[in-house]
Amino acid sequence: MNCQDFETHLAPFVDGELGVDETAAAAAHVGDCPRCQALAEQERQFRQLLRRQPRESAPPEFRARVTALCRREARRKALRPWFVAPALAAAAALAVALLQPGLGRPAPLVGELVANHIAYVDIERPAEFASTDRRKVAEWFRERAALRATVPDLSGAGIRLVGGRIGQIRERRAAFVLYEKGRTLLSIFMVPTLGGGAALPGTPVSYRGLQYVKQEQKGYRTVAWTEGDTVFGLVSLLDYQALLECADALRFERARESRV
Amino acid sequence: MIAWGGGDRTREFEEVALVHLDALYRTALRLTHNRAEAEDVVQEACLRAFRNFHRFNPGTNCRAWLFTILRNVFLNRLRRAGHEVLNEDPAVWESAGESVTTPASARKSPEEEFFQTVLHGDVDRALKGLPLVFREAVILADLEGLSYREVGEVLGCPTGTVMSRLFRGRSLLRQSLGRFARERGYIKESG
Repeated sequence: MNCQDFETHLAPFVDGELGVDETAAAAAHVGDCPRCQALAEQERQFRQLLRRQPRESAPPEFRARVTALCRREARRKALRPWFVAPALAAAAALAVALLQPGLGRPAPLVGELVANHIAYVDIERPAEFASTDRRKVAEWFRERAALRATVPDLSGAGIRLVGGRIGQIRERRAAFVLYEKGRTLLSIFMVPTLGGGAALPGTPVSYRGLQYVKQEQKGYRTVAWTEGDTVFGLVSLLDYQALLECADALRFERARESRV
Repeated sequence: MIAWGGGDRTREFEEVALVHLDALYRTALRLTHNRAEAEDVVQEACLRAFRNFHRFNPGTNCRAWLFTILRNVFLNRLRRAGHEVLNEDPAVWESAGESVTTPASARKSPEEEFFQTVLHGDVDRALKGLPLVFREAVILADLEGLSYREVGEVLGCPTGTVMSRLFRGRSLLRQSLGRFARERGYIKESG
């Protein structure tokens, strides 16, 4: 990628909207070209300025009013279920438009995760939001993309948090939490599913009473599982034992968060 | 499909949809610039969403779905009030200045140093001055963090259009913010 190509890709690059290959190419160019690096930095600062705007909440009385109205509406509808019929037609067009993108043939998910991971390995600074603070990384995902990401503490295993990244997996926004052990990158992917709990391919494996599937692709090891409507995947050159321990730490943390 | 008529459906709506109430409220405020009107728009949008919630496919993007409804309610109200909705006049586009392919080398760099000097309220003031077609794209992508695809879903336009609207919206926004900073004398006149 040269400077001119980079400039046409600048906005989607900073927005995290380029595909895996283009992201890698743009990142490689930024690594070589101080001028384009400065451009990207400027662009990032502008985004941050906008994102840091005060986030006003709805007044509590208003929230209460809307909730009460919906509850009243539910009681009314429960008495007269046929009442909704005309609304169905109007809603149908919208619902179809929303559903269609997700109905395509699913690509092999784990393969996509590995491809993303490989792209990040090549990037100098793989995290879009770099921080070693678990709370800040989780907060960033929530604010930036309304994603609930669990960011477990893996420091006991010598694995350091690098930061977070938001990507597209199967046209859905997904949270990528990045860690490293020495120079080895570990990616944790959290991909919202389309509701259908499709079985993940791979070899079933049980660890501390919980079920996973493991799979090796292009030399990278992956451990994945589905929980609720989220698919979790860990990708790294680290061995399966290490991945399973990290997965277990994540599930423990996730369960703890849910209880809080 | 969600069971009909039970309290479960209401609870589910509260958990899946009403958690986005703050985002809807903020966005409505930025569209209407008026608290009472924003509340009306959000309330109507929520009721409409609730009535159609059985059509909402769990697991798909609820936030984009809600923003779509909010926008429709807002535009309908504008139309009813006799306003011309969404000025897509090419002249507006021209006046936005640079084209998507303008090389960054041609952009003025001193303009960019004002980020540190932006004051509380500047961004909202600058946003307010943006034509609605650009404002809505910038609000959704940059303030609420929707992806290009989600913005396209809400605005009912292809991703390429989202990108060009964002580009022009952001350029206009930067120009306004630069102007505010210059007015305060924080940065020197450039070129």
